[in-house]
This record gives sequence, C-alpha cells and structure tokens, in this order.
Amino acid sequence: MTGIPPVPLQESLLPESLDISFKLLPAILVVSMLGLFLAIGFVFRVADTENMWVAGRSIGNVENGMAIGANWMSAASYLGMAASIALAGFYGLVYVVGWTTGYFILLIFMAAQLRRFGKYTAPDFVGDRFNSDGARAIAAITTFLIGFVYAIGQAKGMALVGLYIFGDYGGLIPGLDGYQVMVVAMMIITVGYLTLSGMLGATKNQAVQYTILIIAFVAGLYAVGWTQGYSTVLPQLEYGMLIDSLGSEFSEPFATSSYYLWVATTFSLIVGTCGLPHVLVRFYTVESERTARWSTVWGLFFICILYWSAPAFAAFGTSLYSENVRATYGDPGMASAASEVIVVLAAQLAELPQWFVGLVAAGGIAAAIATIAGLFIAGSSAISHDIYTNIINEDATQRQQILVGRLSIVALGALTTLAALDPASSIAALVGYAFALAGSVLFPMFFLGMWWENANREGALAGMTTGLVMWSIPMINEIVPTYMSSLEAPLSAGLAQWMPAIGSALITLPVVFIVTIAVSLVTDEPDMETKRVVRQCHSPEPMRQQQTAEDVVTDGGETPADD
Amino acid sequence: MPDNNSRNSTGDKDGRSEGSRNLETDGGVAGQHGQAHRNTDYLSQEVNLLKPSTPFMRDHLRIVWTGFAIWVLAVWGPVTLTYLATDAMTTQMPVLGFPLHYFLVAFGAPTSALILSFWYSRKRDALDEKYGIDHATVETTERGGGATAADGGADE
Repeated sequence: MTGIPPVPLQESLLPESLDISFKLLPAILVVSMLGLFLAIGFVFRVADTENMWVAGRSIGNVENGMAIGANWMSAASYLGMAASIALAGFYGLVYVVGWTTGYFILLIFMAAQLRRFGKYTAPDFVGDRFNSDGARAIAAITTFLIGFVYAIGQAKGMALVGLYIFGDYGGLIPGLDGYQVMVVAMMIITVGYLTLSGMLGATKNQAVQYTILIIAFVAGLYAVGWTQGYSTVLPQLEYGMLIDSLGSEFSEPFATSSYYLWVATTFSLIVGTCGLPHVLVRFYTVESERTARWSTVWGLFFICILYWSAPAFAAFGTSLYSENVRATYGDPGMASAASEVIVVLAAQLAELPQWFVGLVAAGGIAAAIATIAGLFIAGSSAISHDIYTNIINEDATQRQQILVGRLSIVALGALTTLAALDPASSIAALVGYAFALAGSVLFPMFFLGMWWENANREGALAGMTTGLVMWSIPMINEIVPTYMSSLEAPLSAGLAQWMPAIGSALITLPVVFIVTIAVSLVTDEPDMETKRVVRQCHSPEPMRQQQTAEDVVTDGGETPADD
Repeated sequence: MPDNNSRNSTGDKDGRSEGSRNLETDGGVAGQHGQAHRNTDYLSQEVNLLKPSTPFMRDHLRIVWTGFAIWVLAVWGPVTLTYLATDAMTTQMPVLGFPLHYFLVAFGAPTSALILSFWYSRKRDALDEKYGIDHATVETTERGGGATAADGGADE
C-alpha cells in the first residue's frame, strides 16, 4: 500500500507498517465495548463464593460452549496463531492442531468426570483427591504461575492492538514507550472489571466476548478475501489456491523446525489443554454431566470456526504484506512485531474502512480480556480458596475470601504488567510455556487421579514436584537468559533441541506418570472413602445439580464432610 | 455439521424432552443392560482405566479407546507421513490447490477432533439409553441460598 504513513521506529516492539495513531471511530468502538463488559460485570457482580468461582453451577450447554470458546480463544489464537503461521510456515500449524484436538481428550477422559467430582477449583481436585494440603498448595501455585505466564502473552497482544486504535503515548508515563504505556492501560481496565464481576459476570461476559471476537475475526477474513479477490464464500478453504504463490517458506514441511519439534509441541499443547485450570473449571460451572459433554462439543465447534479461519488470514496477510510492504521471507523479511498484528495489518493493507479495521482490532482485545478473565479467576481462586481458606485461615468468612480473591487478581495483574513490558517471546510461544507447565504438573494428576483409584498422596506429591522441576529446566535454559543482558539464550543448545521449552511436556509427562505410579505402588493405597469418590465420578448414575461426588459418597449430600 | 448441531441444541436446551425420547425408544432392548445397571453398586467396583470392572465401564471404554485410536491417527498421522514420504504428501491437491500435507493438518486435524467429539457424545448418550439411565428424572435442587451454605460448609 502506498498510503502507509512513515512510523517512527523508536522501539522494536512497535509494529512497523501498522498505522499507529489515534482513531476516533475505532476508539469509540473499543471504549463502548469495554463499557459493555463493565456493565455486564456490574449487573452480574457477586457477593458469594459459589457465584464467584463456579457461577452457581447454572450454566447451560450453548452458553458454556461459548464461554469455553471465549475463555479459550485468547490473543494467542486471535493474533499469535496467524502470526506464527505467517512467519514459521508449516510449524505454525502446531497451534491449530494442538489447541483444538486436545478438547477430544478432555471430553472422553475428563469432562463428565470432573463435573461429577464437582468442586470449585482445579487445586481443589488435587487436594481432595489426594487428601493433601501439600498437593493442593503445589497445584495452587502452579495455577497461579500458569495464569501469570499465560497472561503475559495476552497483555502483549492487547497492547499491540491498542497502539493501532489509540496511538502512541510513549513518555506519558516517564520511562515507558508507547507499547508499555498501552500494556499498563489495558491491564488496569481488565483488572478493574474482573475484581468487580467474578466468575458469574465473567461467564456472562464470555458469551458476549465470544460473539464479538468471532464476528470481528470472520468478518475481517471475509472482507479481506472479498475485496482483494482472494476468496468468495469459503475463505477457510479457498486460501489453498493462494499457497503456491506465497513462497515455499509458507508451506514447506520442516523448513523452520524438525519433525521432532513438531510432534513435541503439539503433544505439549494437547496435554496442556487438558490440564489448564481455567479450562477444567468450566466443567464445574455447568448444570449436569451431560451438559459438560455436549458443551465441550459446542465449545470445540465454536473454537474451530476461528481455527479454520486463522491460516486463511495468515495467507492473506502474508500475500498483502509481500505485495505492499516488502518480501515476507528472506532478509529483512517481515518483522516479528508486524507479524504479531498480521490480522489487523491485513485488514489495514486491504484498505478496508478505518472503523472496520478497528472492529477487527477490538476483537483481539475482547479475546485477550476474556482469557485473562478465565486465567485470573482460576489464579485468584487458587490463592483465595485453596491456599488462604483451605490452608491458612479455615474460618474465613465469605467476605474475607472474596477480598483475598480480589487482592490476588490485583497482584496477578501487577505481575503480568511488569513482565509484559519487555516480553521474552512471541505471543503464541509465551502461551505455549503455560501449556507445557499445565501438561507437566496438572494433567497427570487429573488423569491418574481420575482413572486410577490407587494413585495416592505420596505419588501425587512426587509426581508434581518432578513436573515442576522438569518444566523449569528448559525455561531456565531458554527464557530466563533473555531477561538478563549478560547471558545468551539458550544456555545449552542440545537441551533446547531435545527438550524445548515450548514442547517440554513430551519428555516430562511420561516421567511424571512413571514417578507418580511407581511411588503410589510402593506406598500405602488411598483410603476407601477416596476410592469411593473416584468411583462415584465414573458411575453413570445421574446426580443432582449441586451435588458433588463427595456428598454422594458420604451419604445424602447435605452433611458437611471433613477431610 | 450445522444440521447435527442444531438437532442437538433442541435436545439439550431442555433435558426433559431428551428424557421422554429415551422412554419411547429404549423399550425392550434396555431390559438386560438396565438390569445389569440396577444390580451394579458402582461404589464397590474398582476404577482402573486398563481394567474396566462394570458392564457400563466396559462398553464406555470400548468407545473411548476406539475414538482415541482414530484421534491419534488424525493428529499425528499426516505429519508422520509427511516426514516419511515428503514428496507424495506435498503434492498439490486438485480443485482446492492445497499441498496435501497442509490441508490434512490445518483443516483435517481440527475437523476430525470435532467430528469425533460429536460422535463420542452421541455414543455416550446412546449408552445411557441402553442402560436405562435417565438424566431427566433427577430433580433439580434449589440454586443459591441453602445449597451455597451447605457446599461452602463442606469445604471449609
């Protein structure tokens, strides 16, 4: 495009060739969208923990499906995936595969059973199933850590998109550039709405957020494809005709990565999907186990709409970039900051009206906010419910619990903001690290805990510790050095090749399984009551809406059980 | 896909209509399995993924493992074939224009997972029907107030 205004490149994080300036219509669009989220959050604001954490177990099929979709589709799906496909070619597709197909595993092995277990948080399951506050604490810390690592990518995505809409306010906060000011502003808004609304508000909002993000994404794709003559009615399939002209880098297999890395990354993303606390907790919020199953199918369908479209968007964006800016591949090629906003950039390069480009950008913000909501609710409930209420202060009142919950949301927000000021990797990769963590620590506990009644406390403690330690090794090897100017990443190239941070669960998961099983076998079996709870999770006998497996096992359901 | 989903949504919005459907169709077929279900005390049967202990679990795991095997092929089959037979897999497809491997991964894998999920949920509902399990008869308890306190108490 000839009309691109020259953007001063003060900082490498400002995406070049994106039109960074204040735009009135898109700004009104985004501000009213954020206002809508706040209003919904206010209407469904909560004062009790049941609604704060599990939305009163009242959510139905399609609504939960949409919440699963919105919860799931973050800035990493909305922006990062198309970016990876554009830059990394065939390897970028690992995100398409890993972030969709995992739902089937979740469905057949865990969704209904989790609903039957019916507690509040992911660490609840670990703590109660293995009768251990230690295991509960490790799970809670992991949950908090996942929320933190995952949200860095979201904050980055929101800030990049915010630059397009609101312009460059570098220097407004002394010492911070335009991107960093935007990170701070976006995180303040997100945290503000979350502390008000809790899980019920977040769930109601997520259905709205899903609608906004999917309409923005799909409409953007159709408009770009139509106006540029790439596609007509089904861009999700028509972009195939374009692939040949994009250069071999776009589709050549294993050009930018090995077969091993491909398999390791997909594996890690899949088991991570099944271990992410904010995903698992969606199954506690539904009416019944049948709803848990069908809402997974709905959720996957809603997710697929975006995942079928993202590669097409990447193809269109790559083609437009090559035509209008410069060759995408080779040297200098597309800068990574530009690729991260390729969805917005494609709409801009296609010369669509400004308000429309703003809509596409707003969808990215909706995606990021919806996911941060899910993550921070899971992270704060881990602190408030699992650590504070269950371990530190067992007599905590509801008011105290909610206060601690809100404070931990603020803490998570502050930590995320700091880390996102100078992020170490691409949006999709940052999120990928959180998946490796979930797949290494939480997934094995849920899977074994649910499907093998003899898995016990000692096994879980040993397994989770192993998972945490093993996950940190490639993180220290590859990511930590990028935050220290004196070190060069990776520290060990061989380790990075065979145990990459983004795909480390391929190695850690089997090890954690073996450790958990071996330690469980050489120590005492869990008590009969625990086994009966596991059995209740698999019984086909229907349960009442507010009942948990524990209630049934201890008879009646109204008597509080102590453990 | 859309027609399948819409069929579902009507059944799901109101669990009761699903229930009455169960009653009409299970007829005599459910008898034997329904008997087995009523005679099973699920709380005294071991849970082990590799050793199903009840007739229901056996039937269920057969579905689970079948789906799982197909899923493994759909997820890692195309990429493995691409690794082994790169030339054959990267040929351009007629009409669509995709290189075959790209299509199977970008479109094939997510779509397979979606179809499998739908298939599994149908199968699982059919299993409930076969064993005479009716989710609709379970009364819905009051939301909010009392239940909150009871559950909250159970946890603290």
